[in-house]
Amino acid sequence: MRNRAVRPRPLRWVLVAGMTGLGISAVVPLLFMLQAAFRTQLDWASSKIGLPTTFTLDAFARAWVQASIGTYFINSVIVTVGAVTLSVALAATSGYAFSTLRWRGRTFTYFFILAWMAIPPLLLMVPIYVEMSDLGLIDTYWSVILLYSALNLPFNMYLMTAFFRAVPIELVEAARVDGASVHTIFRSLLLPLSVPALATLVIFNALYVWNEFVFALLLLHDDSVRTLTVGVNQLVGKFFFDYPALLAGMLITSLPMVVVYLVFQKYLVRAIAAGALK
Amino acid sequence: MQPRVSAGTGSSSAGTSGRRRNPLRSEAKWGVLYALPALVVLGVFVIYPVGSIIVHAFTRWDGFTDPIFVGLKNFQTLFADQTFASALRNNIFFALSVPIQLVLPLGLAFLIHERLPGWRFYRWTYFLPAIYSTVVLGVLARLALQIDGPLNEALTGVGLGGLVHDWLGDGPTALASILFVFVWANFGYNVVLYLAGMSGIDAQLPEAARLDGANQLQVLRHVFVPGLRRVMEIVLVTSTINAFAYMFTYVFTITNGGPGFSTFVAEFDIYNNAFAFQKLGYACAMGLCLALLISFLGFLQIRSLTGGRE
Repeated sequence: MRNRAVRPRPLRWVLVAGMTGLGISAVVPLLFMLQAAFRTQLDWASSKIGLPTTFTLDAFARAWVQASIGTYFINSVIVTVGAVTLSVALAATSGYAFSTLRWRGRTFTYFFILAWMAIPPLLLMVPIYVEMSDLGLIDTYWSVILLYSALNLPFNMYLMTAFFRAVPIELVEAARVDGASVHTIFRSLLLPLSVPALATLVIFNALYVWNEFVFALLLLHDDSVRTLTVGVNQLVGKFFFDYPALLAGMLITSLPMVVVYLVFQKYLVRAIAAGALK
Repeated sequence: MQPRVSAGTGSSSAGTSGRRRNPLRSEAKWGVLYALPALVVLGVFVIYPVGSIIVHAFTRWDGFTDPIFVGLKNFQTLFADQTFASALRNNIFFALSVPIQLVLPLGLAFLIHERLPGWRFYRWTYFLPAIYSTVVLGVLARLALQIDGPLNEALTGVGLGGLVHDWLGDGPTALASILFVFVWANFGYNVVLYLAGMSGIDAQLPEAARLDGANQLQVLRHVFVPGLRRVMEIVLVTSTINAFAYMFTYVFTITNGGPGFSTFVAEFDIYNNAFAFQKLGYACAMGLCLALLISFLGFLQIRSLTGGRE
């Protein structure tokens, strides 16, 4: 019934063609990595586009083992799980403090935290590097886990406070009258009610952490702790023009988040929408 | 948040000495304690670095010995620094795409909102560029644009061999290539923002306008745009911030600043001064100036958007 977009027919089909072309362009990187990753190096040298004439998983094996993509992958998983867990925990506890608990200075503190949302983190790379170095955290997972949690905290806290505020206050009051403690209300009432909100936060933060590059580059130097984004970038210089392996590595870097998007699209869009309507 | 705040703690605990425990006072205590971990993490890893950058912007500091206070010297050097000026010019060039980033996604979102055939496909695919890591996009672009890369191969393949070009080996096309990747990587995110805003607009408003004989463009211009002020503000400000403070990864992975310094950007200059030349104090001064510049631009933009009606 809403299918009444643009009335004049020719213009309408021009728009459809343009929109479709743009949509296809968004899938092209994925298709390009796919077709290249199944080539042999010889096949790549003769042609870089079109359907591969060979079908081999060798490039994946070379990427995973020789190029250390396997190690980087595990590091990315550790950092992402760690940072997302810490981010969500901080968002949930602070969101509870700012939405449901009553204490003096609450509103001021809420806006104080929110104010740090606008800082472009890259401009802080010097003091952050020096601080991490002083704390002895360079080349540890903790450096990026703590930093990512801190950088995303204002937005996470904002989102979680908004979600908790949407829980009917009568439920909380009823639990209070029944003698539930501050912790019981948080653990047994609010947290179970906000599983969709927590899922939104998990997806949103995982996407950021998995793809983050600059601070991973600054803080993780040793190959044993490097994450995928840094690892892939240095492959370009280091990995002897083995493009099928490089592209297989990038495919391994991209696929987890594409799958997350496929499965949890709803939650991701909700996080962005919440940011838009603030 | 308004009504419940005022119900706070205050003097209510005075007359309740008979009770074993005052629930409100306990709640106040736990309120602070529940907020505390977040405040500590934010304080240590965001607020402290901001303080540090302000202090060290006025020092000479190599990272090994103690910083030495030098007053405004870093800023004097900065304003005469040709490399920084040309880097900043490139940031400004990238910022010229802000109008496109503001308007194009608005049009796309409108067509999806109005259910142009294929709208589900558009809505799903347009967000994909925001799912890929910037590094992956940068490395792919670098690969695709090489002299013997897939783009030139495709051009030759379709008989456009005359257009074959060393895209990244030539200053202007290298800069344009980065701009293209930057705009393409970000449009889908803005489409999602606009769609969220549009879903919050009363569906009867555009309906009424159409009954009054408004065409699609007029509906977009006079019904949706006013309802999307807030979203447009966010898109405008974030796109500008991106052009000044989020270009490093694109440049680092696509051209590494070259050829020469032709695609160098301000954040790259901060990175080099800090980590290649060990001029940490100078790098802090650069970061501080860039942050102030961005805040100033954001302030101007919000004023210009809201100024008309308030």
